Amino acid sequence: MQETRSPILQGTLDLMVLKTLEQMGPLHGYGIARRIEQVGQNALIVNQGTIYLCLVRLVQKQWITAEWGKSDNNRKAKFYSLTPAGEAQLAAETENWERISDVIGRVLQPATGS
Amino acid sequence: MWIPLRVLAARVRGFLRPGDQEHEFDQELATHLAMAEEDKIRQGMTAQEARRQARVELGGLTQLREASRAARGLPWLGTLGLDVKLGFRMLRKSWGLTLIGGLAMSVAIGIGAVVFAFFDIGYSGTLPLDEGDRVVALQTWDERAHDGQPNSLLDFEHWRDAMRSVEDVGAVRTIERNLIVGDGLANPVPIAEITASGFDLARVAPFLGRPLTEEDEQPAAPPVAVIGYDVWQSRFAADPAILGRTIRFGATVHTVVGVMPQGFAFPVNHRFWIPLQTKPPNRLENERAFDLVFARLVPGATMESAQAELMALGLVPRETASDDEQLHPRVMPYAFAVFDDEPGQFRWMSRLVLFLVSLLLVPPCANIAILIHARTVTRQEEFAARFVLGASRSRIVVQIFVEVLVLAAVAAVVALGFVRLAIRQLKRDNPDVPFWIDFSLSFETVLFTAGLAVLAAMIAGAVPALRATGREMQSGLSSLGSGTGLRLGATWTALVVAQVAFSAAALPSAVEMAWGTVRTSVLGPGFASEEYLTARIAMDQEASVGAVADGTVAESMAADGEQLPIGSRFGNLQLELVRQLEAEPGVSSVTVAAAVPGDEPWATVEVEGDPIQDASIFAGNSMVQFNQIDDAYLDVFDVPLLLGRRFDARDHESERATIIVSRTFAELLIGDGNPLGHRVRYGWRDSDVAEALAASPSDPSASEAEASPSAVTPSATSPAEEVEAHTWYEIVGVVADLPANATHGKIYHPMVPGRVQSASLALRTGPTPDNLVDPLREIATKLDPTLILEDILPLNEIYRDHAVGNNMGATVLGLVTLCVLLLSGAGLYALMSFTVNQRRREIGIRSALGAPPQRLLAETFRRALGQVLAGALVGILVAFLVGHYFPIRFIGGWNVPGVVPAAAVFMILVGLLATAEPARRGLRVDPIEELRQG
Repeated sequence: MQETRSPILQGTLDLMVLKTLEQMGPLHGYGIARRIEQVGQNALIVNQGTIYLCLVRLVQKQWITAEWGKSDNNRKAKFYSLTPAGEAQLAAETENWERISDVIGRVLQPATGS
Repeated sequence: MWIPLRVLAARVRGFLRPGDQEHEFDQELATHLAMAEEDKIRQGMTAQEARRQARVELGGLTQLREASRAARGLPWLGTLGLDVKLGFRMLRKSWGLTLIGGLAMSVAIGIGAVVFAFFDIGYSGTLPLDEGDRVVALQTWDERAHDGQPNSLLDFEHWRDAMRSVEDVGAVRTIERNLIVGDGLANPVPIAEITASGFDLARVAPFLGRPLTEEDEQPAAPPVAVIGYDVWQSRFAADPAILGRTIRFGATVHTVVGVMPQGFAFPVNHRFWIPLQTKPPNRLENERAFDLVFARLVPGATMESAQAELMALGLVPRETASDDEQLHPRVMPYAFAVFDDEPGQFRWMSRLVLFLVSLLLVPPCANIAILIHARTVTRQEEFAARFVLGASRSRIVVQIFVEVLVLAAVAAVVALGFVRLAIRQLKRDNPDVPFWIDFSLSFETVLFTAGLAVLAAMIAGAVPALRATGREMQSGLSSLGSGTGLRLGATWTALVVAQVAFSAAALPSAVEMAWGTVRTSVLGPGFASEEYLTARIAMDQEASVGAVADGTVAESMAADGEQLPIGSRFGNLQLELVRQLEAEPGVSSVTVAAAVPGDEPWATVEVEGDPIQDASIFAGNSMVQFNQIDDAYLDVFDVPLLLGRRFDARDHESERATIIVSRTFAELLIGDGNPLGHRVRYGWRDSDVAEALAASPSDPSASEAEASPSAVTPSATSPAEEVEAHTWYEIVGVVADLPANATHGKIYHPMVPGRVQSASLALRTGPTPDNLVDPLREIATKLDPTLILEDILPLNEIYRDHAVGNNMGATVLGLVTLCVLLLSGAGLYALMSFTVNQRRREIGIRSALGAPPQRLLAETFRRALGQVLAGALVGILVAFLVGHYFPIRFIGGWNVPGVVPAAAVFMILVGLLATAEPARRGLRVDPIEELRQG
């Protein structure tokens, strides 16, 4: 089981967090971590702690904002949501990712490339 | 906002309030763990298992907190703080390096910072007036001489009436008049003769009364004056009824109509303003008479648009003008025009000067780099250990750099202290600077000084840091604990030799230069200078009033309508003044000359036939001072005649060109032969020359100078042509030096009263010259209110003022020399210490085998001492070559007997002294200890 899980590619965690917030709307750190694990079907090794470091970075860049609120089970939690700058960044990074993965896919499987 | 900036701003916030964010982060993690636990319990785990699993998935809490702290704050600032703390500790630990390196850096940074501060003060260009940056000057610019010329009345009127891009156009000229309040004594003051528009332009309301108005400029208007606040306070005791009181400038009585507020000194540094009469009969149409034409750019206009308009208008052609084609009008920022500067040229010049000044940092910092290198070499093990423990190379480089930066910062603070002292001195020496000049330590100066400190740290710290952490680090690692580290390379040794050589060669020059600077103040003038009272006398240029020499007041002569040329009036007054002063009790004799002894203008001369072949320009022998003296001068100053004759009536005839020279002149320029009959002519001369030599009967430049005293343009003819045009003067007498101990020759011309427009008066009074100040003023005021008397000072006070400047120069020179010596000594010390350290084991083993320690040491030190001796010999050789091929006076040290070998011996002694401590350590090497360590 362990061997089939891959570490997250460097620099892609930001993209995943931004995408999660776009899809789910305002969400707390635990929710983001759970969501990424679920969507990745537990195939990614996510050190949940690193998500919080990623959130600090994204707040500093003003791509997301944070606000204290109440969770479903009435627990005090910090909710993160995407800013317009974050949306623009997400669009740009998504496009970039698609281009790169396309190129890498073609390099790795030349026969099916054309 | 740019993303890195956003991040930085956020990090700064995090750095400033670390507590809040850490608390929130902890709270967030706690929430995370609680949620994860709940989920896992719901999935069927036990509470204990759920808690454990949640913690595993989140990761180590301590590391997370550490990482988030690093991500939120400014972690490098903390490290920097540590480096700075370590830097200060190193300052204390290596106190020798701190003192020597710090002093050398302070002097180098201080010189740079003082130069910058003076530029900054001198060229602060914006006037502290309402919209002061829109005030401009309309200037007549001489393209050939690169100099501003006075403006003509016609141009001023033309520009004022025609220009649309400027308003409040006005003109000013500064005149000097005797100020007489009530029955008081005359006191010369500068006065601004200014158009009323000057007050509109300044937009400053008077403190009392009114400013000048256009009505005041009418020819029939009664004479009025506006005075400054300080003058009102000091001369009128802040009289509230000042308006309507009268004040006399020379022969004219003015009514005070206004007092300007404190600090007002427009156009430059004026305290008195009178109307500028531009209408007939005082019209000076063709004469370029105005110092400044000023104006304010109208809203919307720029310097360029005003310049275009002014160029289109041009200058009004003049009938008698011969130099008009090289004159162009131009619009300038006001302050630049006052200094006759070109902003572009200034920027270029200042950059060049500042660049050169910054280069001054290189020699001391290179020396300090050597010392820092020696220190880092001894700390090689420390760096190697840190390297092993995971510190990156850049981390160690930064650490060494910061250590040096701390030293440089301390030096910069000391340097700023120098700057403050220098600024204070500058302010004291220049009480009458333009009103916009601000004598404060500006932010820019502090910034520049900080920049110099960083530059110094880069030069002194970067190379040692890179070398200490480079390839050689590995050798440091392999020799950890063995007590021997890196070698100091041959380059380093060569540098020390070069340093000793340089010091040995430069020291004599420094001694000689310093001696040349202070010798007159140390040896004194050689005569009782405290027994003489001196003063400058001149006529004010008030053309409408005649004058007499028989003691009647000037107005009566004006009524007669008799107009004497100003020169002969001055001549008559001069003779009468001398006659009346001689009759004054307490005055034993009186003389008039162009300048007081020791304060004469400079020139270079050439002796016909050049009897001394090496009297080259390098030798500096041809630099002489020249003066014009009346027949009494030599007697009044007790100057004995050594050869030939004194001046007499024959020398006043216009076809004679005779001079008397000083003994030093004869010795330096003529040598052993008889100086009488030799002929001398001038090459380059000080700019005061036109005035000072105006009386020389047959000097062609004299008549030209008299015709237009304000239009001396030395570049109009090439220097060679000028030399050719100069008269040959025949030596008819040789006198003793005055002051004694003169280092340069002196030439005396006969003075014909009335041919000069200003002169120096000297009264021999006995021991209390101050008692004669008031009688002198009284006699002069009674004689003629337009006779201006300035700088009334005992002669010894003039010499004291000179000495202050000279001593300051000598102090700076002394400091620089001291730095060079200290750095040389420190370099030798480091070399010796290093050699001893490297050879400790060898000394230990050989001493254990029975070798006498003294012999071991002698061997160890042979190389180093050899270097000192070699350096000293090379130094003497260089000093000899410099002295032989560049026989510049006061340089090389050969004029002071014995100073060159003394300097070499001194450097050897410094070398020996520097080696004393390492030698002591070497003798104390314990063989057993060294062997055990090995």
